[in-house]
Order: sequence, then C-alpha cells, then structure tokens
Amino acid sequence: MQCSQCGNSKVIYKREQSGQLLCKDCFIESIEKKAIKTVRKEKLLDKGDKVLVALSGGKDSVTTLEILNSFREMNVIDLCAVTVDEGIANYRQDGVDIAKRHAERLGIEHKVVSLKEDYGITLDEIMQRPNHKGSCTYCGVFRRTIINKAAREMGATKIATGHNLDDEVQGIMMNYLEGNTDNLTKLGAKTESQAEEFTVKIKPLREIPEREIGLYVVAKELEVHFDSCPYAMQSFRGEVSEVINQLAEKHPTIKYSTLRGYDKIKGVLKKEMQKEYAHGRCKRCGEPSANDLCKACSFLEELGV
Amino acid sequence: MEFTLKFKDLNEKREIPNDDYTIKDLLNELELSAQTVVSKQNGELVIEDTVIQEDDEIQLVQIIYGG
Repeated sequence: MQCSQCGNSKVIYKREQSGQLLCKDCFIESIEKKAIKTVRKEKLLDKGDKVLVALSGGKDSVTTLEILNSFREMNVIDLCAVTVDEGIANYRQDGVDIAKRHAERLGIEHKVVSLKEDYGITLDEIMQRPNHKGSCTYCGVFRRTIINKAAREMGATKIATGHNLDDEVQGIMMNYLEGNTDNLTKLGAKTESQAEEFTVKIKPLREIPEREIGLYVVAKELEVHFDSCPYAMQSFRGEVSEVINQLAEKHPTIKYSTLRGYDKIKGVLKKEMQKEYAHGRCKRCGEPSANDLCKACSFLEELGV
Repeated sequence: MEFTLKFKDLNEKREIPNDDYTIKDLLNELELSAQTVVSKQNGELVIEDTVIQEDDEIQLVQIIYGG
C-alpha cells in the first residue's frame, strides 16, 4: 500500500469517495490546500482584513486558526481570536486554556469573554432554572452576540468559524426538513447580515469532512480539546447527522453533492425567500435588533437577570 | 499472542484472536465507528485495515463526539 501522491508506504488515510491513499505529509498538505482553495474560490478574505477566529479550543476552531495563520504569515491578513466561556463546570476551562496557549504560540491578540461577566449568569445556572428552553438555545444566542461584540471591539472585518462539511450539510438538511426557508438563505461560505454592525462571517473549512479535521489535528500534533459538552443531548441536529452518516457509508460523495446542490440554488433562494428585517436597536443593550429587545436580552428578561 | 490497547482511560493487554486481525476488527468488537476515531500503531497513525501484530501498542483517539 502506497501514498497515491508520493509513493510513501506509511499510509494514514484512505479517502472513501475517491479511493485515494495518503501518507501523513500529503494528507496534511491536502487539507491545507483544500481550505486555501475554499478561501480563494469563495473570496473569503480581502488583503488587509483583520479576521477574528471564534476559538473554542476544539479541533475545528484550532484548524481554522492554523490555516488562517498561513495567510497572516504571508502578510495578507491580521488575526485575532475570541473564546467564549459559557460557564460549564468540568468542561469549558480545558478549552479556554488550550485556546490561550494557541494564541500565545502564534502571538495573536486574544480575548476570553465569559457569560458570567457579560450577563451575570452562567449556562450551568441557567440550566438549573425550572423553565429553561434548553442549553443550546441560550448558548447559541449568547455566543453569537458576544462574538459579534468582540469583533467590533477588536476592529475585526471578518469573523471566521470552524464549520466543517458535516456541520454545513446538517444545517442545509435540518432547515430544508423543517421548511425554514429563511434560515436556508443564511447558510454558505460567507454570510453577510443586513445590519452593518454584524461582521461578515466566513467558513474556510466548509468543504472538509469532520473526520478529516480530527485526523489533521492529530497528524499535526496540535493541542485540542477533544471532549463532549455535558449538555449535548439527542437533538434534531444529532438525528439528522445520524441519517446523513448512514447514507454516506454506501454513498461516500453524498455530503459533497448536498453542499454543491445547495450552493447552486442559494442565489435563487436568497432572491426569492430572504426576509427583510426592521433595522432597529435593542432597548436594553443597544445591539442591532428587529424587535424592541434583541434575542439575548429577551432571554435575560425571562431569566430575571 | 497479545497486544496493548490504549483508549481513553483504558490501558490493557488483549489477545490477538487470529492472524488477520485488523484494527477495523478491533473497532467492531468495541462497537466504535471508524468515522469517530483515529488509530495509532506503536505511536504512528495508521489506517483501519492495518493488521495488529504481537506486542503492538494500539492507541485509539476519539476525534468526534456526539455533541
């Protein structure tokens, strides 16, 4: 058995979709090339951009940081990072520490923002409330608000997230199955909000399968936080993911074809289905909001914080 | 004939049941999906078709979790 690229006998990966065999060096190079190709094809970066990486310390965000750092080393962009500490005991601190070490290693500006400091409550405390709406609902909304604020404070022109191929395909299928055409218009490699205060978001890893990102960090010996969130539960996303992975066993190209198909219809979807939102301000925090209160503040009001 | 398995907190000697016993066979026994773990044989990354040899140290690293 030999590497299809260089002939090395130490093969570490077999690509099911193409039958390609790769040694460690050729595998690492293939991942980096793929992400760089996405950046170029989708025009995710402009020279002089300051990119804020949403850095949890997990495999996807650490890989995003590593790949974008190659653009920083070529003086194309500047890089900074933010880590959100949701306040989850025995889980989040490891990721925060790993994120800090990566930022120090690369010498980039890094900020850790905690839910407790910003909103006066931790996710653990929210989950002790009897009528909570589920951990992911709060976590998603608070994290998005914190990252957007950090982008403005740090002068970032783009926010990079670690969404991989599996995440994107799950998002496409979930929204399609739920008939959520508005959310369907918001997916993609680059998402721009109607409100100027929301920084453009980019996803350099969206064409790389989750498993390949996991192998990349192990092969490159990058320190990452491999662990499961204690609040992870049987969500709709989990169910959809299971179905897609089952299909992918017999049809190894199915995730790519789902993504390609979505990319082809996205333009029409946006034109026909995108909703126009009112451009207002949240009365409580001043963040952009279509309603009197932004989503984060409406949750805080409900929680009595 | 034995090999050592390292997985999370596990560090144990296991029997090699037959000559063509691969990492994929081991994953099936442990009910682990090859999609969620990567495998190392004596410290080096390998594919799941690799045959386990006597005295090998097989380390499994879980890279994908449910949530």
